[in-house]
Amino acid sequence: MEEMRIMLVDDEERFLSTTKKLLSKKGIDLLTALSGGEALEMLNSHSIHVVILDVKMPGMDGMATLREIKRQHPLTEVIMLTGHATVESAVEGLKSGATDYLMKPADIDELLEKAEEAFERRKRLEEKIRVAQTRLSMKTPREILRETE
Amino acid sequence: MDSFRVLVVDDEQDFLETLVNRLNKRDMDAIGVLSGERALEEVKKKLFDAIILDIKMPGGMDGIEALREIKRIQPLAEVILLTGHASVETSIEGMKLGAFDYLLKPVKLEDLMMKLAEAFEKKDSHEQKIRKARIKDLMRFPGRVFDQEKEDKK
Amino acid sequence: MKQDRYATMKNTILACMILVPVIPFILVLGVGYYYFTASLESSTISSMRRIIEDHRQMIDSFLRERKADLEFILNSYSYDTLADPGRLPDILTQLQKKSSAFVDLGLFNEEGIHVNYSGPYHLAGMDYGQEAWFNQVIKEGYYISDIFMGFRKIPHFIIAVKREDAEGKRVLRATIDTHTFSDLVKKVRIGKTGEGYILNAEGMFQTERRSGGNLMDKDPDNLRHTSDEPITKTFSQKDLRGEDCFFATTWIQEKKWLLVVRQEKGDVFRDLRSASYLIVLIAVIGGGAIIGIALYLTDRIVRRMEEMDSEKDRLGEQLIRASRLAELGEMAAGFAHEINNPLQIMKSEQTLIQTILSDLKDNGQIEESEDLSELEDSVRQIAIQTDRCAGITRSILRFSRHGESRAQDVSLQTLIPEVVAMIEKKAGVHGIRIEQKIDQDAPSVYMDSAQLQQVLLNLFNNAIDAIIDKHGVEGGEIIVDAVRSDDANMKITVQDNGCGINPSYLDKIFTPFFTTKPVGKGTGLGLSICYGIIGNMGGAMEVNSEQGIGTIVTIRLPASG
Repeated sequence: MEEMRIMLVDDEERFLSTTKKLLSKKGIDLLTALSGGEALEMLNSHSIHVVILDVKMPGMDGMATLREIKRQHPLTEVIMLTGHATVESAVEGLKSGATDYLMKPADIDELLEKAEEAFERRKRLEEKIRVAQTRLSMKTPREILRETE
Repeated sequence: MDSFRVLVVDDEQDFLETLVNRLNKRDMDAIGVLSGERALEEVKKKLFDAIILDIKMPGGMDGIEALREIKRIQPLAEVILLTGHASVETSIEGMKLGAFDYLLKPVKLEDLMMKLAEAFEKKDSHEQKIRKARIKDLMRFPGRVFDQEKEDKK
Repeated sequence: MKQDRYATMKNTILACMILVPVIPFILVLGVGYYYFTASLESSTISSMRRIIEDHRQMIDSFLRERKADLEFILNSYSYDTLADPGRLPDILTQLQKKSSAFVDLGLFNEEGIHVNYSGPYHLAGMDYGQEAWFNQVIKEGYYISDIFMGFRKIPHFIIAVKREDAEGKRVLRATIDTHTFSDLVKKVRIGKTGEGYILNAEGMFQTERRSGGNLMDKDPDNLRHTSDEPITKTFSQKDLRGEDCFFATTWIQEKKWLLVVRQEKGDVFRDLRSASYLIVLIAVIGGGAIIGIALYLTDRIVRRMEEMDSEKDRLGEQLIRASRLAELGEMAAGFAHEINNPLQIMKSEQTLIQTILSDLKDNGQIEESEDLSELEDSVRQIAIQTDRCAGITRSILRFSRHGESRAQDVSLQTLIPEVVAMIEKKAGVHGIRIEQKIDQDAPSVYMDSAQLQQVLLNLFNNAIDAIIDKHGVEGGEIIVDAVRSDDANMKITVQDNGCGINPSYLDKIFTPFFTTKPVGKGTGLGLSICYGIIGNMGGAMEVNSEQGIGTIVTIRLPASG
């Protein structure tokens, strides 16, 4: 079974490092990024299942990053995390494809739980796609006939 | 072409009547009901393109519960949530349950119409995708109907 | 300073309100009095003039007639006939038939010898040749005497006429009783003191005067009416007693007698005076009323102005307070948002500490000890306090979430029962009865319904807390009522019978973060946010409370439409 890989994107260095330590104690390898741009780079170079994304960041903000992630990696699950929760940003985030929207300060267990939910969701999705693809790669009788001809 | 079918669920009679009238004037087939329970009855009877749902309704089924049921019965219907009392928690819950959007009351009619149009568009493209996938599937495996069922059972 | 301004304003208004009606009022009274007096005076004088002229004519004609009677006798009968003692009484009788005033009749020859006499006395044969009157008759042709008391002590006068022909000169004399015209004159009666009398050329009374003055006495008033003046004259002068009197005097033509009619001014104006008492009374009462009303109205106006000013000040203060609260709300929201990030880190750090601690303990790297359990307790405390902070920031955000409010017509008849339904369960658990008195005809209010709901929920929750404090689980009561307070406003009151508010806290209850609830139970934001919301909607909120009795929160909101 594939192991869940999570990336935490936040402009607070200390939050990243502490969370990383905490999760490593739980045996989870946490990837971190300090900005939206860095997060996108990481996504290109690593296989990442779940991104926990701070909404308010200097430079490329969380919403823009979310949209970009969803554009480039539609299968990646994104959980928004913010100290600045508003109805507008929650709706926008969820409409843009975020799986969930959490408010700071969030419990690490809660974060993990949501991430796992998202991972499950992703696995289900991947499974579906895999099934569909197998179906496509499966040769129909007509194709077999055509090939034998 | 068939007109869009819209269900409006709100406990405020005046608002409901006004909205349903306006929608019907815009060539839509709109029905209004006053409670979540009644909404579910309607949803079981007939397919809707869009449902406008007030989250806060006193007594009986609340909007979020109604949303969950509606999405279960008619997953393709786009639901626009309306609320007089914005809260981050309900907006998250509603959106996660698959609502199309979350609007604050009082809502401008033009805004609501725009949202409805967006919802119809989304539903249309969604349905087309599904239809295309089915056609493709049919073309590739004309005789695979039973196989599909078997696979589903697995 | 302000008080001075009110005092000045009060005096100005008062002066205007008193002077403006009082000046015309006094002028009207004065002018009226003047013209009324003048017209009364002229009408009195003209009536006196009329009376005196009538009487003069009467007396003149009386004298003329009597003189004519005598002349007729003298001319109709020969000297011998008149000198015949047998005939003269008949002639007297004949005269008396014409006028009862004739008392006697006598004939005198040229020398003044009383030739014949008919009458009650025996005067025949006496010589009057040297008497002044006789000489005057001879000279002038006739003579009318002043009035005198004769032997009979009856006032009378004489008329004598002369005839001169071939038979020589002769004089016929008659004594005339004056009662005929003196009664007439005496009968003149105007008002209470108006009277008439006759004076001779020397100013002696020819008739008695009702107000004192015997026949033949000298008139004490000393009237001046010389013969070269018009026959009739009116004037006013003080009489002997010092009373102001109107006089009308006229000279009788046939005899140099002055007919006088006089009336005391006091009498003339008596009615006017009693009327003027009434007028003065009315003026005093009216003036008093004007002053009283002016005082009352001025007081009311000034007080109303003071009220309005203080209302204005209060509104101003409220506005400032509301805007300050709004700013504070924004600041608090910003603060809450910012604080959430460090809170997140603190929370993670705490979790890390806890995890490491339990790892170390599990590995046996540190031993169970009192210090360790204290350390663990302390770490747990950090978690609890972090959560508490999170709770606070969340409640701040909940209250100040939507900066912009969306106002619409909100029907209180619908909204209040909805809110009540939300807390009914909680209230019921604590045995609290909720009574709703909502005026079903009251208009809607124009505001954000969610915010109003939030405000009411807050008030209900406060009421419930206060009731629990005092009553426990029995006897609590909340009364919510909504009525139209005036044309433009709705009034909502939430009344409870809870523990009330300590008077020293009353002016702080709207201050953000002020709370009397135990630590961790309340943020102290509820009422201040409510206050801000209501203020933003153009309403007002006030709290009245009596410790131990209960609290009444009153909200005034502009009615829509």
